[in-house]
Amino acid sequence: MGDLYAWLVSFFFIVALLVIIVWQLMCLADLEFDYINPYDSSSRINRVIMPEFLVQGVLCFFYLVTGHWAMALLSVPYLYYNVDLYMRRQHLVDVTEIYNMLKWEKKQRLFKLAYLILLLFLTIFWMIMAALDEHDHE
Amino acid sequence: MGTENPGRPAYPGRPATTPFGAPPPPNVRPFSSTPPIPGSGPSTFRPTTAPPSQANTPFASSGPMAETEAPGFQPRPPSTFSNPSAAPPPALPSYGSPAPGARNFQRFSTPQFTQAPQGPPARPPTMGQAPFGTPPAALVPGAPPAFRPTANVPAVPMGLPPQRATYAPPGGSVPQLPSESVPSVPRPNFQQSYPAADPSVPTGRPTVPPLFPGYPNQRPHAPPPATLSQSPFAARPAGDVPAPVVASPFQTHQGGYVQPHTVPAPFGMPPRDPMQHSASGPPSNAMYGLMEDFNSLSIGSVPGSLDPGVDSKALPRPLDGDVEPTSFREMFPLNCHSRYLRLTTSAIPNSQSLISRWHLPLGAVVCPLAEVPEGEEVSIVNFASSGIIRCRRCRTYINPYVTFTDAGRKWRCNICSLLNDVPGDYYAPLDAMGKRVDFDQRPELAKGSVEFVAPTEYMVRPPMPPLYFFLIDVSVSAVRSGMIEVVAQTIRSCLDDLPGFPRTQIGFITYDSTIHFYNMKSSLTQPQMMVVSDLDDIFVPLPDDLLVNLSESKTVVETFLDSLPSMFQDNVNVESAFGPALKAALMVMSQLGGKLLIFQNTLPSLGVGRLKLRGDDVRVYGTDKEPALRTPEDPFYKQMAADLTKYQIGANVYAFSDRYTDIASIGTLAKYTGGQIYYYPAFQSASHKEKLRHELARDLTRETAWEAVMRIRCGKGIRFTSYHGNFMLRSTDLLALPSVDCDKAYAMQLSLEETLLTTQTVYFQVALLYTASCGERRIRVHTAAAPVVTDLGEMYRQADTGAVISLFTRLAIEKTLSHKLEDARTAVQQRIVKALREYRNLHSVQHRLGGRMIYPESLKYLPLYGLALCKSTALRGSYADASLDERSAAGFTMMALPVKKLLKLLYPNLLRIDEYLLKPSASAQDAESTMKARLPLTMDSLDSRGLYLFDDGFRFILWFGRMLSPEISQNLLGHDFAADLSRVAFSERDSEMSRKLCALLQKIRESDPSYYHLCHLVRQGEQPREAILIMSLVDDQIGGTSGYVDWIMQIHRQVQQNA
Repeated sequence: MGDLYAWLVSFFFIVALLVIIVWQLMCLADLEFDYINPYDSSSRINRVIMPEFLVQGVLCFFYLVTGHWAMALLSVPYLYYNVDLYMRRQHLVDVTEIYNMLKWEKKQRLFKLAYLILLLFLTIFWMIMAALDEHDHE
Repeated sequence: MGTENPGRPAYPGRPATTPFGAPPPPNVRPFSSTPPIPGSGPSTFRPTTAPPSQANTPFASSGPMAETEAPGFQPRPPSTFSNPSAAPPPALPSYGSPAPGARNFQRFSTPQFTQAPQGPPARPPTMGQAPFGTPPAALVPGAPPAFRPTANVPAVPMGLPPQRATYAPPGGSVPQLPSESVPSVPRPNFQQSYPAADPSVPTGRPTVPPLFPGYPNQRPHAPPPATLSQSPFAARPAGDVPAPVVASPFQTHQGGYVQPHTVPAPFGMPPRDPMQHSASGPPSNAMYGLMEDFNSLSIGSVPGSLDPGVDSKALPRPLDGDVEPTSFREMFPLNCHSRYLRLTTSAIPNSQSLISRWHLPLGAVVCPLAEVPEGEEVSIVNFASSGIIRCRRCRTYINPYVTFTDAGRKWRCNICSLLNDVPGDYYAPLDAMGKRVDFDQRPELAKGSVEFVAPTEYMVRPPMPPLYFFLIDVSVSAVRSGMIEVVAQTIRSCLDDLPGFPRTQIGFITYDSTIHFYNMKSSLTQPQMMVVSDLDDIFVPLPDDLLVNLSESKTVVETFLDSLPSMFQDNVNVESAFGPALKAALMVMSQLGGKLLIFQNTLPSLGVGRLKLRGDDVRVYGTDKEPALRTPEDPFYKQMAADLTKYQIGANVYAFSDRYTDIASIGTLAKYTGGQIYYYPAFQSASHKEKLRHELARDLTRETAWEAVMRIRCGKGIRFTSYHGNFMLRSTDLLALPSVDCDKAYAMQLSLEETLLTTQTVYFQVALLYTASCGERRIRVHTAAAPVVTDLGEMYRQADTGAVISLFTRLAIEKTLSHKLEDARTAVQQRIVKALREYRNLHSVQHRLGGRMIYPESLKYLPLYGLALCKSTALRGSYADASLDERSAAGFTMMALPVKKLLKLLYPNLLRIDEYLLKPSASAQDAESTMKARLPLTMDSLDSRGLYLFDDGFRFILWFGRMLSPEISQNLLGHDFAADLSRVAFSERDSEMSRKLCALLQKIRESDPSYYHLCHLVRQGEQPREAILIMSLVDDQIGGTSGYVDWIMQIHRQVQQNA
């Protein structure tokens, strides 16, 4: 039973991350099409960057404590990347250079998005397996 | 260096028949038997070079000798011979047959040599008068046989372009040799160069045409008959005449040969050799056309020798300063002037593949408010009632290139081709040509640059008044250096000249470890000082009275400025709360915007934005961490810069410290707000006072555009993708420029959106929307057109070195922010190499280029400027060669410089002035000519008996030669003349000579007022001070950097690899 809840919790974590990433991508797209100015765009993005990093860190830790070391391993590269950005102080979007960095910022987030979708599918798969397992036991 | 034109079709073919019409000479020899003598060059050639007898052959390289008229040489006047002996070529080879085009052309056609013997002996050689044309009768038949032997010269190996076929006639036996040699055929295709001409040939020569039917273009051209009788040779003394040798002016190919001298004279350089002209005779127009195709430089070393094979004197140098391309203007006379907009090439490529083969940056450099000479001011147009006329779809402003149709009721946008209605008020009928009848009265239809008065739709708020806010560091180092005093005096003296009277606003904050605000309300008699010491939570006391109207509070402001130096003279506070003070200034100014002038003397040490001492760890240099030293350490500065721009505040930073102040961080404020950095390392008021005073005064009083935005539009299918300079992007293509003036230029790069452009012409329109100091909102519009081409050669032909280098500079400096200096320099070199390689490939198909380096005429200075860029303060050497601050300051400055100033900074002027000073009565013309006689930047230009002036637009360096007459030194330096020059200040003395020099310096300063040229004195051999000049001698090899010759060799070698 605990396993099922663990998967369920991680599912919500991943969905939260997805929402954050999609929000950032939307801000960048708006900026590109000139619906928003760089000041608003970068402040909106920067506001959610630390939450994103924290949620991701917690998720990774959560996998580890619940014993899903394979999933934890899978999310380690993402965590490493975030920590690395943070250590280099490049995690925030630079408002002065945002147009020159736009391509890179978008690409980076699209990769994250694909990565999260993969995790999401895996989580759903394991969640269903856990539910079926539960069911068999009963 | 000849210029060749690979086959331009248009050349007029030479007349098929030579004028003479004589039947083919019986004794014409096939070429094969008489190869040119190049190999033997030195030995045989030299002797013959006796001036009188020698003529150069021009033919050389160019294939199509298309010149129709005129002696063959003429066409290439540009080429310079280096051979001195050739100078007096008496007989210009007038061969008509020069172009040997084909192998078949075996006969030698040196026909024209008719010149001849017949000339009256005493006649002075007439240069330029081609001998040809002499009637056959005059020819000396007897001569031929004698020559034969000489004709057999070693054949030139293929591949090496033949240089000149000169042969020495056998001794005196043939005194009357009329004509001689023919030179070689450099044309790659033909290996055989013509052998020397036979004397006999001339007679028969005319019949050449039949010989090579297939090559119409290459037929000999008809020599002008008129010149016949003047044969140069006539003067020749009978017996001892060496055969006249015809030297070819084009010595383009010398590379491969073992010629003693290589003579690569770039075309287009100032003639160094008088010969050129004489040899070339009157240039024909056709030839000029031919010449523009490309230039070449022969490079090749003599095996076994250390001589690099390049004559450094002959390399192209921009001694005439920046030459703007003119074809652009001729093609489209309605374009805006090139001082506002310069494209890197005036021929826009029509496809992606062409762009990828262009290799140089494709883009533009824009200086929207460039200073204009008297009488060329941009006209101001006010469409009061009809509103500004713009295209409905693309928002292009009306300009000279729009077309009116439908009897004047509609106009077609030249950028997006949309048909727009002409507003009723603006309607005017069309004349028979389809032009509006009021065309002449409408500047917007007749001129490429125009200024519209913007109605209220173009304002988001009422136009702001000009506003100057000063943020002055008053910590102990600022007091000691005397900076505060100079600044206060200068501001005070400029109060009456600040633009925008009577709306101008002004305000001050000073700071050390606390922040001082000044209430200068007009009702006060004395300014009131308020001190805020809580740096973590800045608040602004009396927010309304800190910014005051200058005309109302002038006396208070003056009182404040008078007392400012004395207020802090005993200050011993060493801290600097720069960050908090900046935030306070932002709060004060945020209502209005304006210009913020920051005077910073130390590293910010308190509060937010405090900076650490960086860069004293030598181990960091050369590693991946090095570039981080050139970027802002604390994100606070970028954020502040963004906020300043948001509130329309432009920051100019004046930095003074002799120690590290982290210009890389502080300068960011200026970079993203459209400002500028002024850096005075180790400021001392005694020596730098004038410089600071001049530059601050200019900053305060020059015409400034406030709260501006700039956009550049271009035709469908192309798009500006990246922008480089000091500004912040507000949207993808909108540059936010809180304050902009004539000393700022912006560069941008283009890319193609579609794979193929179908239009014939593309248009560019720069629009700067700003508030003028008078309070009017205006739009300055510059429009230009450029043709679309399908040919890469044309792109190179239309290239603009100044704009290319300007973009290169900006790209390289941006690269240093994320890469090592070495990488940035390599990138510059690589791009030059790639471009030249592409250009070479373009021509190598038609020409055998051998060891020559070829480049388009338009880019002849590109390698040199590339080298100068790599040696500029921003990019040169490694960490020891320039301090971090100097490097950053130079980088920020170069990012904003307009093209001409940048080129001058990269390749400064070096003038010799002692002769001018010694001349008893020097006129203005003498000064003028002294200022024009620029010298190459190499040690060889410096004569130890001379006095030289070095001028890079930012400083003067006066170099005193070791053997300069003491009289001059004494006159200029007074009694200190023998002392250590580092301790001597330059000032006007009471002597004629000194006054003359000061007048000259003053004249130069006036011609280039953007920065003050601070005068440095250097004596030859006085180390280490002389290094400031030596480091700037771009052509020389200094401390591990390559000299110009090496650089050319390196580039040439790389171009040839995988060519």
